[in-house]
Amino acid sequence: MLRSLKGLVCHPLKLDHGYALHTAAKDCLSSVLSQDVQIPAERPRAVFYTNETDPVKTFNEACLMVRKPALELFTYLKNSNFAHPAVRYVIYGERGTGKTMTLCHVVHYCARQGWLVLHIPDAHLWVKNCKELMQSSYKKERLDQPLQASSWLKNFKTSNEHFLKEIKTQQKYVWGKRESTEQGRPLGEVVEQGLARVRSASDAVGVVLKEIKQQCHLGSFRVLVAVDGVNALWGRTTLKKEDKSPVSPEELTLVYNLRKMMMNNWNGGAIVTTLSQTGSLFKPSSAYLPHELLGKEGFDALDPFVPVLVPNYSQREFESCYHYYLHRKWLQHEQARTEAGKEELRFLSGSNPQQLERLAGPL
Amino acid sequence: MRPPSACSARGCAHQRPSAAPLTPPRPSRSALAQRRAAPSLPALIATHRAGAAPALPANRGRRAFLGPCGAEPGAAVMAAAMRRLLRAGGRRGAALVVAAGGARSQTLRLIYTTTAAWKKNVAASGPEKYTEAFIKKQIEEFNLGKRHLANMMGEDPETFTQEDIDRAIAYLFPSGLFDKRARPMMKHPTEIFPEQRKIQWGEDGRPFHFLFYTGKQSYYSLMHDTYEKLLNVQKHQDQMAAQDLPPQKEKKNLVGSRWLTKTELEEMLLEKLSDDDYSRFIQLLQKLVTSPCGNIEENYIKKFSREISAQLQKVVIEPLKHDDRGVAFSTGEGERKTSRATVIVYDNGTGKITVNGIDVLHYFPVLQDREQLLFPFQFLDRVGKHDMVCTVSGGGRSSQAGAIRLASAKALRSFVTEKEVEFMRQAGLLTVDPRVKERKKPGQEGARRKFTWKKR
Repeated sequence: MLRSLKGLVCHPLKLDHGYALHTAAKDCLSSVLSQDVQIPAERPRAVFYTNETDPVKTFNEACLMVRKPALELFTYLKNSNFAHPAVRYVIYGERGTGKTMTLCHVVHYCARQGWLVLHIPDAHLWVKNCKELMQSSYKKERLDQPLQASSWLKNFKTSNEHFLKEIKTQQKYVWGKRESTEQGRPLGEVVEQGLARVRSASDAVGVVLKEIKQQCHLGSFRVLVAVDGVNALWGRTTLKKEDKSPVSPEELTLVYNLRKMMMNNWNGGAIVTTLSQTGSLFKPSSAYLPHELLGKEGFDALDPFVPVLVPNYSQREFESCYHYYLHRKWLQHEQARTEAGKEELRFLSGSNPQQLERLAGPL
Repeated sequence: MRPPSACSARGCAHQRPSAAPLTPPRPSRSALAQRRAAPSLPALIATHRAGAAPALPANRGRRAFLGPCGAEPGAAVMAAAMRRLLRAGGRRGAALVVAAGGARSQTLRLIYTTTAAWKKNVAASGPEKYTEAFIKKQIEEFNLGKRHLANMMGEDPETFTQEDIDRAIAYLFPSGLFDKRARPMMKHPTEIFPEQRKIQWGEDGRPFHFLFYTGKQSYYSLMHDTYEKLLNVQKHQDQMAAQDLPPQKEKKNLVGSRWLTKTELEEMLLEKLSDDDYSRFIQLLQKLVTSPCGNIEENYIKKFSREISAQLQKVVIEPLKHDDRGVAFSTGEGERKTSRATVIVYDNGTGKITVNGIDVLHYFPVLQDREQLLFPFQFLDRVGKHDMVCTVSGGGRSSQAGAIRLASAKALRSFVTEKEVEFMRQAGLLTVDPRVKERKKPGQEGARRKFTWKKR
């Protein structure tokens, strides 16, 4: 889950999970270019995530390990035929094995190649802990989430600036009594509108998605839809309406529009998603397979998809991660430098990336 | 007792007339004697304490006779009876309820007795409490009862051993009492009734033994005999020296044996000893044993020595076994609190551990438990070299982790040199942790925690 990921930066994308903008990451923007991820290296480099207290700020860089699942995805994307409907890829695996990281890697890759990237850092944030729920002006039975929508629009704007100027609206949109967007205006105006008028932010998001979907088959740009925690779209929510009745996901505008995006009735791009148990609601912690986390509805909606499993570290990957920590002097304990210490870390973490990171933190 | 009447329509239960006697009327003396003399099977099954105490018919009138309630002794006679009872003491001193039925008699009820009444009047009890005839009768009855019991249990009376008796009694009279000695038991009368010294003097009052007037006749006679043996040995030694034969070198090995303890010696002699007496006797025995040619009196000495059976057992380390693929493995079992674990440790592994079919990261999400599992391997520097398959049940997560740790340490003994096994033992990896949950006591909230103290 992206909660621990703040400020992982890939030019020009700024990934933000909606809590707070990690300003330090802006500084890293340029530095990442120089700290290039070498693709596809024979010897993978080390990985780490970025918590408040830790590596990105300390190292002033964000690094990714190149692993097999990501490489697999790159080959698929390279060989995909964009005349065919968009292929859906689902990255799944046990907790803490690196699914979100793989997704970020893919996003970075596509961004470098010049694709238009629609990245939703964590879909779970849209279905829980929402402070403001408004009734949608567009459709009476749906509910709007202005805060989440506006934060997403902000990110989208900063990450895909030049696309916003190129894509033109194909239809007139009326936002209210006095506001409307004419046909043929750049998409940037829609985004500005959403940001200025927070009340209509969710509708703005919907408009953006619709326009992109309609225009991507023309072939001028490729679209990558990257969603983390896609099982949130088909699960349950913890939100309640004013009369305390539970809200189902389709009643949320954002979710509804995103679901439309996930269908494979458009071409000219790809959809890469991740399953996540950590933020999911009402799912047991041992669940990690697609059909467990997506449920019947989600599975049917996403079917057919290409599953990509992300396992724990292999021997070499573990070694590489360990050496990275050592090299960057993250491991300060004397015994951590020894061979015995390495074995101990390997045993205790079970070669699970998240566990290793947690263990290495205090050392 | 009048049987409780059936519930009336008004619903009150058990109407008892107020004048009914509170205890059943005491049987007559003869009836009592008869009953005591012919105990049925249940009477033989006595508890430990009662075994010493069945009051005997051959009393010298110490037990006050309480006549049946209908006998109407006058108040004075009753009082006299009570006084007699109190003076004589005896073990019957507990609160007696003397109830007399009938309107005319006075109801004398003794609520309490003094401790003086309870104290054992040892001097008065005399040397002989159980007559020989009594003991013989008990033995006959025991044998008869044994056969009855065997019949009841459907076993062969001829081959019914004491263990079978114990099992049968535990089955027929299940008891939840904690102290084993308080439970019903049926043993040979010689084990239940302690040995008594027979009367030491004859009809004319003259004692049989020549050392009677020393007060500790058996002790002094024992010392006398032992010293005689010692003199014997010394004489033999002198003879050997005179004949210029070398003295015998074989010494009896005293390592695996011990002398009788003071209590055992007292039981043997049937009389009390002081510590000083006991130490003198042991010194004499030592002298006898350590002197050359002491082997002559070996038989005599054997009577006073016992084997020490509990020697340290050498723990056998099992050799490695090999499974179908040719991989060496070994098993181990461990426990901690209420958890039990069995573990198979395979050689040539990568450090993969499976617990109850689940990967160790999922079964023990807490780091502390995994550290416990790591400990034996890390101690032997074999962290990534073995695979492990464990089954564990019972207890909580911490105790399961401890149980697996012990089991894996035991299994690793087969892979490792003896010196390292000794290191492991000293590190505490091979010791069963004896700590279990302490019992909650009444009057307290927990095992140690008391209830909140309130000043008033």
